[in-house]
Amino acid sequence: MFTFNSLVQKAHSLIDASTIPSSRNPDGSPSKAALFRLQFRLPDSQTPQHEITAELSLSVPHSSRASAQGPRENQRPQERGITYVGKLHLSENFLCFSTQPTSFLHSASTQASSAFTGQTQGAGPAGNGFTLALCAIRRVERLQTPNSLFALAITTWNGFTALSGKQGNSSDAQRFTLQLAGSRQSSERFCDGLKKGLRDGVKEVENLKAVISECYSEYLLSGNNKAERESAMLVNGVNQPPDAGLGMVFRYPGDARKLREQSKMRLWREYLRDNGRNATLIRQPTFHKLIRVGLPNRLRGEIWELTSGSLYIRLQKPRLFTDTLSKFTGRESLAIDEIEKDLNRSLPEYPGFQSEAGIGRLRRVLTAYSWINEEVGYCQAMNIVVAALLIYMSESQAFFLLSVLCDRLLPGYYSTTMYGTLLDQRVFESLVEKTMPILWEHLVKSDVQLSVVSLPWFLSLYINSMPLIFAFRVLDVFFLEGPKVLFQVGLAILRINGEDLLDITDDGSFISILKTYFSRLEESAHPKSKNEKLRAVTKFQELMVVAFKEFAGITQSTISEQRVKHKDAVLDNIENFAKRTSIRNLGPESKRLSIDDLGFLYDRFYGILYEREQRMQVMREDIDRRAKASNDKATELVTGIPGNSSIEIGRVGLGPSPTLMNYDGFREFLAGITRWAITDAPTSHQDPMPSRASSVYSGHSGRERSSSLSPWGAGNSEPADHDFMQRLYGKWNKDDNDGLSLQDVATGLAHVKGTTDIMTSISYFFNLYDDDHDGKVDREGILRISEALLFLTRRGLGGSPAPSSISMASTLDEGMDPKGSSADERFLSSVSAFIRRCFEYADPDHPQNQNDNTSLPDTDLNTSMDNFTVGDSDSEEDLLDLGPKPTSFQQASPSNPPPATLPRRTSSLSHTQSKFISKRSANVALDPSNPLHITLPTFRMVILADDLLQQFFESAFPASFHLSDHPAHSPLQTPLTTFSSPTPALPAAPRGGIVPPAKGLRGVLDNIVSDGMRVAGEVRKRVDEAQREIEKSALQRSETDLDDEEEKAAYGGEADRKSVREGDRELLEGEEAIVGVGRGGSLQVEEDLLGGIDAEAGSEEKGRIEFER
Amino acid sequence: MADSAAAPPKPSSSVKLVLLGEAAVGKSSLVLRFVNNDFQENKEPTIGAAFLTQKSHLPHRTIKFEIWDTAGQERFASLAPMYYRNAQSALVVYDLTKPTSLVKAKHWVAELQRQANPGIVIALVGNKLDLTDENAAASGGASTSEGSDAEGAETPETSGDARKISTKEGRAYAEEEGLLFFETSAKTGVNVQEVFTAIANAIPETQMKGAKGPGAAGAGAGQTALGSERVNLNQRAEGAKEGCAC
Repeated sequence: MFTFNSLVQKAHSLIDASTIPSSRNPDGSPSKAALFRLQFRLPDSQTPQHEITAELSLSVPHSSRASAQGPRENQRPQERGITYVGKLHLSENFLCFSTQPTSFLHSASTQASSAFTGQTQGAGPAGNGFTLALCAIRRVERLQTPNSLFALAITTWNGFTALSGKQGNSSDAQRFTLQLAGSRQSSERFCDGLKKGLRDGVKEVENLKAVISECYSEYLLSGNNKAERESAMLVNGVNQPPDAGLGMVFRYPGDARKLREQSKMRLWREYLRDNGRNATLIRQPTFHKLIRVGLPNRLRGEIWELTSGSLYIRLQKPRLFTDTLSKFTGRESLAIDEIEKDLNRSLPEYPGFQSEAGIGRLRRVLTAYSWINEEVGYCQAMNIVVAALLIYMSESQAFFLLSVLCDRLLPGYYSTTMYGTLLDQRVFESLVEKTMPILWEHLVKSDVQLSVVSLPWFLSLYINSMPLIFAFRVLDVFFLEGPKVLFQVGLAILRINGEDLLDITDDGSFISILKTYFSRLEESAHPKSKNEKLRAVTKFQELMVVAFKEFAGITQSTISEQRVKHKDAVLDNIENFAKRTSIRNLGPESKRLSIDDLGFLYDRFYGILYEREQRMQVMREDIDRRAKASNDKATELVTGIPGNSSIEIGRVGLGPSPTLMNYDGFREFLAGITRWAITDAPTSHQDPMPSRASSVYSGHSGRERSSSLSPWGAGNSEPADHDFMQRLYGKWNKDDNDGLSLQDVATGLAHVKGTTDIMTSISYFFNLYDDDHDGKVDREGILRISEALLFLTRRGLGGSPAPSSISMASTLDEGMDPKGSSADERFLSSVSAFIRRCFEYADPDHPQNQNDNTSLPDTDLNTSMDNFTVGDSDSEEDLLDLGPKPTSFQQASPSNPPPATLPRRTSSLSHTQSKFISKRSANVALDPSNPLHITLPTFRMVILADDLLQQFFESAFPASFHLSDHPAHSPLQTPLTTFSSPTPALPAAPRGGIVPPAKGLRGVLDNIVSDGMRVAGEVRKRVDEAQREIEKSALQRSETDLDDEEEKAAYGGEADRKSVREGDRELLEGEEAIVGVGRGGSLQVEEDLLGGIDAEAGSEEKGRIEFER
Repeated sequence: MADSAAAPPKPSSSVKLVLLGEAAVGKSSLVLRFVNNDFQENKEPTIGAAFLTQKSHLPHRTIKFEIWDTAGQERFASLAPMYYRNAQSALVVYDLTKPTSLVKAKHWVAELQRQANPGIVIALVGNKLDLTDENAAASGGASTSEGSDAEGAETPETSGDARKISTKEGRAYAEEEGLLFFETSAKTGVNVQEVFTAIANAIPETQMKGAKGPGAAGAGAGQTALGSERVNLNQRAEGAKEGCAC
């Protein structure tokens, strides 16, 4: 049983887009633009435009020079500075450089673009380099070079836009050179692109000023350059420091001295001064190291913003946060109610959230986000995450960071079904199984479910699992290196506690071991060690080392791969749950239908919604493609899903995961469960729709479209459009919404199908035509009813006419030619009798009409039958004549022209109808000047007077809705014959030709799924290939990729050594070395116990430790 | 077999209990009251689920409750099967002052009856009694559905308090579905201990997972203390498997 609603598609695209190249790329290749954006953490609007191999030369750091040196420092011999070779990329608004040799141009090979390497495996800024906003570049000069190579000297606005307003302090200026290594032609092309980008960038300089004014680094660097003590500077600072979170007022968590705040701040200040800050920062190895040892409080928010890329989104829409708040002031929503419930209980132990100040911030950030991403709205855990962010950053910074979290870093985690969370739990479990098989086996044996402990870790980013100061250390790395960090840390927790965990017998002991562990992270990892340094290593330091060393093999691609693998199972589970819940909550009326029927209904309902959504999207994409340039901007939202904005489109209008079915959808729905709702004219060479201006039903909006584009899926039967269907839709649409909900449909069907009482069935039908609910149906209504009866039975009574009906009917049809008497004909005569009787028994609206009433003599009935059989031969001719005025029409009614009130129908069905009626028009009752009506009792009597009609209401009509009990419905012939030509040539039974819609849909979905798997497999293969290639080339090019090499370059350099004070270096390296030793020791122990790791790994670690962090 | 009177010597068994209900009805607070006899005004919302244990001493035996306290927000509902898997008892909590929370509670009851262990003992709990007028006399007002003979002495619903769901309404529903029924206040502690004791009493001996093992639950047929139609028919808990979302 397929259960697909739009959620699945969304989930697929989200997961794919953020991890593996989207398979939805028009040309079938992985979306390089998406990879590019992920690699450099760029907003969704950016695409790779040019790229070229280049050499980045950085001047000697300030800190190692005498400050008196002039601005010509770049003229110094290059060997005094640092150079990196890598790829230079240009997008619309950014210039990016990375030592990772990846390529994102469309012309580039797939291999080159999907080669994820470095710490982030393409999920974040990797290697050395920069992501430079073009608007932050002040000047680009072309330098004279001896070998006529292109060399560009780039000067940024740093030092010029500083808050201090100290203009032109040139020693502050950031300047570096880029030497392009491409052909002359390609270099020129690149420069042209750059020129254009720079011109456009000028417009954004104001944005940049606004954005960086919120960055603490600007303030930090605006102080006296020569001040050695930043604490002094902070005290004497002329300017108000920018908002660096609630911590500035309510203190930051942790002991500043223990956290070595001052040293960290000093290091960062130097780093930022030498390498640029916020929009102009250049990543060097020290950058990664500085992050691994933990960020200083005041800079934490800003660096998070930078490494996650939310800074760049803020740069593009600096006012989105405040604009959103003011736009939605006073509006209410479910999300806001939910937010209010949790405001007082978000990190309540932090003083900032015991005050209105902190709570106000939290409220504004969560509320604003719930408006820009209504689909996510608000999910518990977001309050905790945002509360944590707000300790370190301003409201608007937190707002943008939250949107990056929800859209990119934690895809689907906070969605209404939380499929991302569930999926990653599954992935985590499989990683545990793979890396720690013994432990995994034990957990399974003890019936302990891992995700009950690990789910909160992921959902709230360890924030309420570990003490805050440690959770923030994890976050520091997480924002830089991406989601894999959560997995690495989780695995490390289990590994470190592996020994104890092997003793557990149930959930309780499992949880309590980890609880105890978290509460003791601060303590020594080796309290009994004789080595003093080893004793100083905390459990947290040990955790970090295990996470990033031992589980270094857990990469972004590992996770992507696993996500693809488990996606379907997880989504199936969610859907089963959703379906169960949904069906249970359909209300008491729905209980009249069986569970199976409801299940079928559910699948059918959401199947159609999903399919229609997909078709709309295809159409829209088509339109988009035509007007691409202009549309790109329009659909790009700050919350946009990476790589695929088209997913967004269907959503914006219809709201999260559509639950309402409009009239067109309803028609399609009916066409799937009944035979009569399939159109007779699928090619639509004539408009089957009466242009009824008086129509009051909604859902007509899509109609115009249907004439030009086919809104029905290929292979699906096109639904009919009949007055009856509109009435049914109107009746079922109780709340006058824009469409029917599943509940409406279930309730509606329960009334029609769930009853076996003929009286109920008759009055239901009557009420359908009692427009003004006064208990009367007028002439027009009577005619419509008869039309509907013919419409509903034009393919026979119900699914298969019961034999009894034939025998019953045969008594009625004495006078008829047995050869030509099919069930259809007999029904037609029943309907004709129905009309006549209706008019005979109708109550006149005016007393004088009573005279016209006659009794119901048998002869009259026979006459009408005779009339009919005569007319029958006519109708065969009429079938050929599609014109509105057949000759027989006029002949039959020589005296009375057809009453204007009769519906003018062009379809052959109604044509016969009107002709047929016109024959009766001699009857005075039909005189339009004599209004009349029938009441329910009359209607009931008339129906019960006819066996065939009685049978119709008793069983055939309810049975015409096929739910789960239905056999595959009889395929229909195209073009379909209509009831108006019930010639013997037309069999009443099965008419072949139309594929059951369900099958078509399922086929489509199967294809989507298998395509996805195939693409994923392909990508993985290529990634592996590329990885091998890179490893090979890395051996040859020592300066490129190996971390050790890089770090030697940086740390081995004379200049750099000077730049890092002895004590500071200890902070960077010493700690690590000790941890390494400690880890080595503990590994030995573990080796014995778990037999997991070989001694080599331990010793290797000791050797390399000095260069890692 | 269904007779729990055949008491084992000195039994100390554990019972898995899951708390379900709308967000902010006081699930975690009830647990906190039961486990630590404490109350926190601003309790952090539960993410995923919290796990706590507490022993309950009955005359004949000691029962160790393994309590799974789940997140209440609607979207966490799909995680719930993970937590009520193998649970022998459940507390479905609603907020006396919030009508929608009873609707949600009914959904949970229906979900449990269909998907959880057959024979699971469910208690319906209306929390936040302290916000109503009768909170002083409340301990008398609330009772198990068995004690419905006290119906006549029903505290009249007084106006002016925050109560939106009458005791009668809650009890009527509980009786219809064969649930234990209590009105509690986690803040004042009224009836909290009683809920857990009643559950402990209602769980037949055969349902206890004495030692440990996934198959222990649902092994024997037994009657709940209600003597209602909730008889364990010894069938497989089909939902337990399918419902596990991960």
